[in-house]
Amino acid sequence: MTRKRSITPYTFLLPALALLGIFVVYPIIAVVYYSFTDYDIVRPPVWVGLDNYAKLIDDPTFWTALTNSIVYLLVTPILIFLSICLAIIVNRRLRGIHIFRALYFVPAVSGSIAIGLAWRWLFERNGFINSTLLSWGVIQTPVQWLATPQLTLPIAMLLTIWAGVGYYSVIFLAGLQNIPEELYDAARIDGCNDFQKHRYVSLPGLRPQIVFVAVISSLAALKVFDEIYVLTNRTGGILDSGVTMVFYLWKQAFQLDQAGYASAIAMALLAVTLVFSIFNVRILERGQSEDAT
Amino acid sequence: MSHASMAEIIEPVAINQRARRRPRRGQIVSSGLWYIVLVFLAVITIFPFFWMLMTSLKGPGDPVYSVPPQFIPTDPTLAAYGRVLDLLPIPRFFVNSLIVAVCVGGLNVLVAAMAAYPLAKMRFPGRDAIFYALLATLIVPAQLTYIPSFVLAVNVFHYYDTLPAVIFPNLVSAFNIFLLRQAFRSIPNDLIDAARVDGAGEWRIWWTILLPLIRPSLAAVAIFTFVTSWNDFLWPSLMLHTPDGLTLPVGLAALQSNFISDFRAIAAGVTITVVPILLFFVVVQRYFVRGLAGAVKG
Repeated sequence: MTRKRSITPYTFLLPALALLGIFVVYPIIAVVYYSFTDYDIVRPPVWVGLDNYAKLIDDPTFWTALTNSIVYLLVTPILIFLSICLAIIVNRRLRGIHIFRALYFVPAVSGSIAIGLAWRWLFERNGFINSTLLSWGVIQTPVQWLATPQLTLPIAMLLTIWAGVGYYSVIFLAGLQNIPEELYDAARIDGCNDFQKHRYVSLPGLRPQIVFVAVISSLAALKVFDEIYVLTNRTGGILDSGVTMVFYLWKQAFQLDQAGYASAIAMALLAVTLVFSIFNVRILERGQSEDAT
Repeated sequence: MSHASMAEIIEPVAINQRARRRPRRGQIVSSGLWYIVLVFLAVITIFPFFWMLMTSLKGPGDPVYSVPPQFIPTDPTLAAYGRVLDLLPIPRFFVNSLIVAVCVGGLNVLVAAMAAYPLAKMRFPGRDAIFYALLATLIVPAQLTYIPSFVLAVNVFHYYDTLPAVIFPNLVSAFNIFLLRQAFRSIPNDLIDAARVDGAGEWRIWWTILLPLIRPSLAAVAIFTFVTSWNDFLWPSLMLHTPDGLTLPVGLAALQSNFISDFRAIAAGVTITVVPILLFFVVVQRYFVRGLAGAVKG
């Protein structure tokens, strides 16, 4: 450790801090200011006080967006559960297991627009799902999967889950492989069956990974945009059924030129994110104190 | 079986593990069942891609929509690829995406590696404050910054509708700084102190001693950042509008509105854009695993 005073550490930090200042800190300050103005990006902002926030409270679409974003958080527990299951399934010595592990990761690297288009084509009125169900006689007329308001959000969430399971299971697999073999041996000697073995050894052993995935996937769920954009063909769905916070922010700022109002939506997004982060940190701290004892 | 019982005599401690690995009839059956599960999951994962590929190859005689669905084209053709390449400069999109992802992946890891070193290995006033400020920025959704960043791009930096507009705002990632700080912390202090005693400056220590030692972490972070940047959509879609200047995801989204009824062409476009990143993934696969596993260690 260097103890003498020098500017060296700051020179190392300078590029990162300068870039963060320009592209993160300044924009946050600016967006707070814009949220109190009438602004369309082209003309200078005009101070309107709390008007945007008052409008927000009376805007049903905003409440739909807020509700949808919070409902979207349901993907987090589902992703954690399915990813742990997948990690347990692929955590065994079988010939070719590496190929399967790689296959499950494919949706995570393919890009949300490409996989969104692929899914759209499955759920299209003339898509694969309808023609399969028709040929099996399950349905008599094609279902309008993407044009049914109640289905917009669930299909997007299903897409997020499908694309995320392989990705997060890699994290859990690494966690499983760090759990000492002796713990499983001890569990077996104590008479645990396979299910109990995972319940009482794997699950507590995966606690750091569970916390990490919970934080990462819930932050991602609050920011969801691409899936909605592609699946609803940039409309947000019939009756705004698929509109999320970020989608509404984007629509107001860049489609309707209401950047001031969109900034107020951004502040609401920040507030929701902070609440969930504090919630997550609480869980994290509880986990650490349990580990320490 | 005889070598297994020999092993039990020689190494009694290992009995349990050996017993588990010895192939028995029950195990062969159970691994057969596991393969059925694995293949089933692989089909769910791969099917949308397979369906895209098959749709893109369907000829004029093959229905894109039929009951029951037709899986394998009887009259395969590459005509849809020709149509999509005529209408959209996909090779240009590819080059644009490559420029952006290489710049972002390379420079981001450099900036992060610089910032991570003093945070991990030096003591100076404000270190903890800077570190916690970095952590705080992790929570802020990037989309929050898009309105002011848009204004900056148009009025201050004048790079709206050019590739630098999607490069510069992504050159720093607090998450990457955090990951590389963990990597630097795993290096013993004695090594750095020895280099200092020998009179090496901090920059030289950083460049010639430390960076080579954390090369696997650098590679993992760079590759992750590369793929994230390659697939990034929302910010590039706000910045890029000139048809020749789009990145692949932005171009792909444009495809959706240009070919509303031509599913063969959309499928061809999706297939062309997915193949390169999949090939890249196959080549660098092990770094993904290491990067993801390393993220949680701390």
